[in-house]
This record gives sequence, structure tokens and C-alpha cells, in this order.
Amino acid sequence: MSAKRSSINRPPTPDVDRDRENQEPTLQEIINIKMIESGEKERLKELLRERLIECGWRDEMKSLCRAYTRKKGRNNVTVDDLVHVITPKGRASVPDPVKAELLQRIRSFLASTAT
Amino acid sequence: MSSKINHHHQNDKTNGQIFPQPCPHLADFHARNGTKPFRAIQDCLHIKPPGGRAAIRRDSSEVPRCGVCGDSSCPRLYACMACAAVSCHVPPHSSHVAIHATKTSSACSHEIAVDVDRAELFCCACRDQVYDRDFDAAVVLAHTTSIIQSSKPENLRKRRRIDYRPWSPDLRERSLMVNNASPIDSMSSSNGDLPRGLRGLNNLGNTCFMNSVLQALFHTPPLRNYFLSDRHNRYYCQSKNGVRLCLACDLDTMFSAIFCGDRMPYSPAKFLYSWWRHASNLASYEQQDAHEFFISMLDGIHEKVEKDQHKPRSQGNGDCCIAHRVFSGILRSDVMCMACGFTSTTFDPCVDFSLDLEPNQGSSMKTSSTKSNHSCNCEADGMNSSQNCGISTLMGCLDRFTRPERLGSDQKFFCQQCQVRQESLKQMSIRKLPLVSCFHIKRFEHSSVRKMSRKVDRYLQFPLSLDMAPYLSSSILRSRFGNRFFPFDGDESNTLNEPSSEFELFAVVTHTGKLDAGHYVTYLRLSNKWYKCDDAWITEVNENTVRAAQGYMMFYVQKMLYYKASEKQGTS
Repeated sequence: MSAKRSSINRPPTPDVDRDRENQEPTLQEIINIKMIESGEKERLKELLRERLIECGWRDEMKSLCRAYTRKKGRNNVTVDDLVHVITPKGRASVPDPVKAELLQRIRSFLASTAT
Repeated sequence: MSSKINHHHQNDKTNGQIFPQPCPHLADFHARNGTKPFRAIQDCLHIKPPGGRAAIRRDSSEVPRCGVCGDSSCPRLYACMACAAVSCHVPPHSSHVAIHATKTSSACSHEIAVDVDRAELFCCACRDQVYDRDFDAAVVLAHTTSIIQSSKPENLRKRRRIDYRPWSPDLRERSLMVNNASPIDSMSSSNGDLPRGLRGLNNLGNTCFMNSVLQALFHTPPLRNYFLSDRHNRYYCQSKNGVRLCLACDLDTMFSAIFCGDRMPYSPAKFLYSWWRHASNLASYEQQDAHEFFISMLDGIHEKVEKDQHKPRSQGNGDCCIAHRVFSGILRSDVMCMACGFTSTTFDPCVDFSLDLEPNQGSSMKTSSTKSNHSCNCEADGMNSSQNCGISTLMGCLDRFTRPERLGSDQKFFCQQCQVRQESLKQMSIRKLPLVSCFHIKRFEHSSVRKMSRKVDRYLQFPLSLDMAPYLSSSILRSRFGNRFFPFDGDESNTLNEPSSEFELFAVVTHTGKLDAGHYVTYLRLSNKWYKCDDAWITEVNENTVRAAQGYMMFYVQKMLYYKASEKQGTS
């Protein structure tokens, strides 16, 4: 049992990492890491959550999921199915002001961390 | 693609929650790893500020990336419960976590994984989210160690329940009743159409603010029952304490007058005078605010009654006076530090709920609240409903009331963990519901900055039946923790299963006109008919008239205390 416990905390095998380090991280990856490390990504996620709840987007997605689940039957639906069904509609129905606000926040973050 | 037929989702109800049976892979995981396999993950559960969500990280600054493709920006990354390998899952393109699951051997099962950003379990073989009590308990534990409760609400000790025993009068009691009471003639010849207890109130000079609230109080079931069953006898009170100011005695006088059957409008002059003496700053013939009068009146009853008997001052469970017994509830306030996630909780009694109207309706996709199905003019479930309904509703206001609110940089809260003032997130919820909920809509805005006041006339839709369950602390906390199964608090009988979160509307106080020159009118619901009480004039009105009115104060009573329409008149 204790052998199993320690295995949960064991990091993944090293050869995977060595392979990757040979390639240059892309700009996108660099930005992503910087955003995660500074905590900005989490703050942006919270902001987005807040805005999408306020404008009713989340409730709409919820009712879409409910309708789909009702149609298919509760035992015949997986989370993957739901994600697949609502992703295109969800992406399309994000209100423009929300998109604009987040883009603005990302822009100012990039400007502030430009080296 | 979908292998869901393996799921035996028989639902078993525990604590009112539906609990699905584990999939065979999850059951297998349990079998291999003992009774509490998820406790090992406790160290990796971090509560991420600012929102306080649970995440899985080996150390708090770890940036998780897929072990196969190195991607760290994937929206769904899963950590294997057996070996901690992180893999991505991007159906239908690729799923490295599903490939990882095939590594399952007789020694160890790699099929169960946990979403690193959401702390939710996933079965890679079934390709679906799974739920486990032990895991959820570990998540809740991680959350609650960061919550301090400043004080348990002292007043929530269990009420000693008295068994119901039927009673019928003996000879002595029977003669007492016959000699000291007169029968109520339920089918009185004069005005047989109006139910008992409806009587106009004369306006004594801009006193519609008082008349409207009094009409609502006369028909507040627990209050009406209290006074009509002589629980506060004015003669006894005055003989015991001398003839002095007692708002409860004046209220007792009025109840007797209103319910005696006389249909001539009544002048509540004595009560007005008593109230003036209690609230001397409001003593004038100017127009007053009905809500302010309501609060002041409850306060007056509390003060005077409390001086007589040496009852506890605490208002939370309403043991002090009838006003609090009927109207008092307990609010819970959680303030979460946005830097470290530490939460501080306080409990405060309240006699009503003052709600803000939503600032602007119809901006982007403003939706009427869909917390639970309620009567809305548009379909509650259709996709387009949320886009078309820009109406403010009472439940929308309650949503706003219980929504987490960011305290701005000028309102920084002192965090006990950080030992410094930090920006915080505040969330209100209802710890204990009162017997009667009074919702006060803040229609009068007074801006001390701009030295002006204005009235908000926007229409507010309110339901006839209201379920307050989504606004209870148990529901709010549950939603904060995400999709979890756990018993709440455990120190009292399930508030969620009790029917006491359902309320029925019985009175609406409306305001028409301007801030300084307006008129209050009350609509009362008796035996499922609506009556308009406009000072001295009482008329029966259509339900739609009430629905269309501008609600200022809405009174709801717990359903179990509300006697629905009965055939006979006068039995409301």
C-alpha cells in the first residue's frame, strides 16, 4: 500500500523531457507559460467565467446540455459527447464585448511583460 | 466512441442527492487501492485564488503539460491516479490519456485519472466523468481547511419538538368558551362577498405608507394567528405594566377591530400616535417610506415586549418577540481573500431582504433567472428564451444578492492568513429562512455624493410560489465546491429535504408616483383571490392586475403555514 502511495507522487519518466528540450518552445508556449506562472491565466479565466455567467451564456449552455441529455437518455451521454455538442455553439455565442474585454486584458499583459 | 452501456447508473438517493453507481473501472480501482484511495491526493489539492477552485498540482507553481506531446495549453489535462503521469485529452483528435489507460496491468490500473484544473474524476476506459464520495470528501476537506467560522450561529440549537396530541374541550372548557365568545357568522348577510379580516384603513394625512404595511401584517398568517389567539392580551399587559407605550397592545387593538366583522373603514389613530412616540424622528404628516415604517415597527414591538419578560436579546432564532419569531432569519456572509483563498464567515440576523434591481436590462444576453423553473412569460428551457427575456425578476434579484461580489481596491478586507489587507470576494447566502420573508426592492436611490434621490420605476416580475432552496447556504456552498457529493454541516436535519424552503406570496405593497409624491397600495391574497387595499377602499381585483403592479415589498410565507384556497368564505 505504501509503495502505491509514493508512486502517485513520482514524476513522469525523464526521457520524455529530454526529447522535448531539443526543440525551441514556440511563442505561443512561452506566452502560455508566462501567463500561468504569473497567475494571469487564472485571473483571466475567473474574469471570463464571471462575464459569461452575467450575460447568461452559461445558463444557455446548461439548457443545451439538458436538452441533449433528455433526448439521448441520461445513461447514454458522456462528458465528451456534451463537450462535442456544445463547443461550436458555445464558441459562436460568446458576446463580442466579452471577447473584446479579454483581448484587451491579454494585450495589456503582453505589453507589461515585454522583454 | 461511446462505451456507456457499461454504466449501471442506478441512482441511489442519499441526503436527497442522486448518487450514481461507480463504473466497473472505478470499482476496480477501489478494490485494488483500499478503502480510501483518494486520500493520497490530499497533498496535491490546491485551492487556487481568486475564485477558490480546487486544482491538482504536485507543487503550487507546477505548470502541467502532457507527458506525450508536451502541450500545456490543452483545456483538458488529466493526471493518472496510479502513476501521476499527465496526459492530454482532445477528443476526437487524440487522447493521450486514453492511450495511457491501456497500460493497465494486473499490478496497477491506469484507467482512473483526475482533471488537473477542475479536480474531477475521469474514467479513461469509459471516456466519461465519474463520481466518488471519498474523492469529493478529500476535495471538500481541502476547501474547508481554508474556511474559518467566526462563530457558529448560536441560536441554531434544535427546537425541542412537541408531539402532536389531539385535543377536545372538556365540560369546563366548553362552558368557558361558550360564555366568553360569540360565534363567527361565516355567511354574514351584509357583505358576504368579502372575507373576514378585510377592512379599509382611513388615511390620516399621507399615512398610506402605514396603511399599506398594516394591511400586509394583518394577513401575515403567523402574526395574525398570534394576536387573534390572544397571545398578547392588551388588558393583561396594561394591568401588569401600567398604561404605557406598547406597540404590541396597539396592534392587538387593531387586530380585534379589523377582524370583528365591522366593514366601516377603521382609523388607526391611536397606533399612529404610539408609533410617533416610538419613532419620533419620523413623526410628521410628511410622506414616509413604507419599508422604513415596517422596520421601525418591528423594532418597536421587539423593544417593548423584550422589556417585559426577561427573554434573550438574540434575534436569530426569534425567541425574543413575535416580530422576530415571524420575520427573523439568519444571513451568512463569506469573504474570500483573492490572494491566498482564505475564507472568513460571519452570521447575522435579518428581518427582511433588501434587494437591488439589476442595473440595466437587455444588455448583451441578459437573462431572466433560470435557477429553477418559475413562471416566466417565455419558455424556461428553450434556447432563445434567455435572449428574449430582458425582464427583471425577483429570482434574478436573489441571484444577484447571492452572487460572489468583488470588493474593490478601496474596500480591502483584512485577511487573517496574509495578515494584510487584500482584495476579496464576498458572497451572501441564507443560513436560516424566516417564517415570513419580506423582500424589499430598493427603488429609492439616495445618492449622498450627488445630493439627489431618484426612484427606479422598472417593472419587476415576481412569482406566486417561490422556492428559496438555491439561495440557502447549503446550496451556495455546494455550488462553490463544484460537482461534489457531500453532506452539508451535518449538525442539523437536512434543510434541503424539508419543505420549508417553499414559500407562497400573500401580500404585495406597491408604490406609484414619484419619490416625493406617491401612493402606496397593498394587494392581499385571500383564498386565492386578490383584493386591492387602497386606504379605505377594498375591492376584489384580477390576478393579472397584481402581476402587472410595481412591487415594492413582497411578503411570502412558508408554504406549510399557508392555507390554500378553501371553499368556505372567511376561513383564510
